[in-house]
Amino acid sequence: MKKRGKGIGCTFYGTGYGNGFPDVSRARVQLEKDGAVTVYVGATEVGQGAKTVLSQIAAEALGLSMVEVNFVCENTDETPDAGTAAASRQTYNTGNAVKRTSEALIRKIKILAAKHWQEEDFQRILIDSGKVFHTNDHNKTLSFKEVALLAGELKITGEDSFTAMTTQLDDETGQGNPYWPYTFNVYGIEVEVDTDTGKVNIVKAVCAQDVGRAVNPKLIEGQMDGGFAMGLGYVLMEDINLNEGKIKHDRFSNYLIPTSMDIPDLEKMIIESPESTAPYGAKGIGEPVMLGVAPAVLNAIYDAVGVRMTTIPVTPDNLLVAIKEMDRKEQLHGK
Amino acid sequence: MRDLVQNVYQAKDTDSILNLLDQYQDEAKIVAGGTDLIIQMREGNVSPPVLIDISSILEIREIKEEKNTIELGSTATFTDIEKHVFFNHSLSAIAKAARSIGSPQIRNRATVGGNICNASPAADMLPPLLAMDAMVVLKSKQQTRVLPLSEFITGKEETLLKSNELLEKIRFQKLNPNEGLGFSKLGVRNALAIARLSLAVYVEWDENDMCQNVRIASGALGIKAQREWDVERFMKGKCLNNSLFAEVAAFLEESTMKRLAGRSTMNFKRYAVQGVFKQALDEALEDMERRMIYEKGSF
Repeated sequence: MKKRGKGIGCTFYGTGYGNGFPDVSRARVQLEKDGAVTVYVGATEVGQGAKTVLSQIAAEALGLSMVEVNFVCENTDETPDAGTAAASRQTYNTGNAVKRTSEALIRKIKILAAKHWQEEDFQRILIDSGKVFHTNDHNKTLSFKEVALLAGELKITGEDSFTAMTTQLDDETGQGNPYWPYTFNVYGIEVEVDTDTGKVNIVKAVCAQDVGRAVNPKLIEGQMDGGFAMGLGYVLMEDINLNEGKIKHDRFSNYLIPTSMDIPDLEKMIIESPESTAPYGAKGIGEPVMLGVAPAVLNAIYDAVGVRMTTIPVTPDNLLVAIKEMDRKEQLHGK
Repeated sequence: MRDLVQNVYQAKDTDSILNLLDQYQDEAKIVAGGTDLIIQMREGNVSPPVLIDISSILEIREIKEEKNTIELGSTATFTDIEKHVFFNHSLSAIAKAARSIGSPQIRNRATVGGNICNASPAADMLPPLLAMDAMVVLKSKQQTRVLPLSEFITGKEETLLKSNELLEKIRFQKLNPNEGLGFSKLGVRNALAIARLSLAVYVEWDENDMCQNVRIASGALGIKAQREWDVERFMKGKCLNNSLFAEVAAFLEESTMKRLAGRSTMNFKRYAVQGVFKQALDEALEDMERRMIYEKGSF
């Protein structure tokens, strides 16, 4: 018999290394002699979209369009260390470093222009769309290229870093600030359980993800689709089958992950609630998008057949035996 | 170091295959789709000095519908079977079994003859062919033998194929309106899944709902894909009603527990076999009804 059930899985997730571990991202932004701007940052692009998002953040801070910003990453010879592409930290941590660095460059450009116009207060200088203006005298404008020429041989660079505000927990009191910031996530999933075979099919799935601010909504949706697929594999299929220290499922013919035939369309909701310490409010969501899947599926299975599965993956093997044992117990107790 | 293949022949007709097999005997391995053999060779489990590629010979790839029988050429691919017009209006369980194998890429290459001769206990095409009481036609330079598929498969990856023989074709009877075939496979995912358990059920009912004849074949329920003779005997002559299914299910559970005693999968399969049987039986009955409607409609 096929039985349907619905489940919800809510999670909150601390971004970054956490627990007071030095979580530092560095960046450098340089005004080239031709007026172009280059961002140098040691963030690694692993398909998550770091290059795009960090370029967007730099462009926003510099008042340029994305195509006007050169972006150099990963090359350790050219770029300052921005830490690992891990812990869902690049958008938040390195995004902050890129934003601060870009702001530092803007400040230098303003100071140079102020000096050129013999203006004492550099805050009277404005920058918009690659143009430098004097607030009091609209006839005074400079392009980035002209600013670069003002500096002569001197390179105009902004350099800064960002360190996440976490502290180690107090061993005695258990108090402290282990992570900063947190992201929140909820999955709603409907399953159909075949009570004759133990097979679970996903009928419908919805994900709502708090992102702080959606720097790039398409990339976020891509992350959500990917996290959903990973979460499904984790809860229903993936099993390394460890036997006396040996991994028995050592190939993809027996270590199963979902195919597109196992994954329904995911309904995606992006929740924007800007984080005050984040670059334009944006937080990382790389890991959070997969976390709610397993609890939601387990709850949905419970709703469908009344069995609380406490180990994963919930393969037909495990679930069918659990259902039959529950049936037997209920019969014994005359239910 | 792994032994290398010394010669690869691309045979141009059946006779040239038989001559090459006669010449090389144990030294040669036939390769059709290669979806099993090439992997086994890469892993060093087999290292034949001679390969005979039979994949381009059209005369043994044909699916032939005759008045009362169907013949599958041994190098018919699962895509050929899945898409064949006969299996789309009749015996759809065979098309379903073909469609459940691997991915489209694998189905484009893998052949029914390879599935039979590789004789994996979980081979997806074996249960429906066993339930159809299929015969295999084996050819050598000297003779042609025809054997029931159930006798041909002797164990885990073991068959009666001699080193000078080619599996030329598979033959089975078409079904009458009061007969039906169902197939059900339980895999962990919806594609690219190796069967955890599969069953094919052939039934023949008379007008009084009595089971005239039944053939049940299983995959991944023991060391080989096999006919479930005991269950068949138990079911034959009984009437179709709700208690029949429960009785057969209990019988299946007991025989599974006996056969898989001591295996870690026993506790799962004793239950799963009942669910898979129910689905296969339901499908066989639906198939029979469809055939009856089709028969009436054609008059």
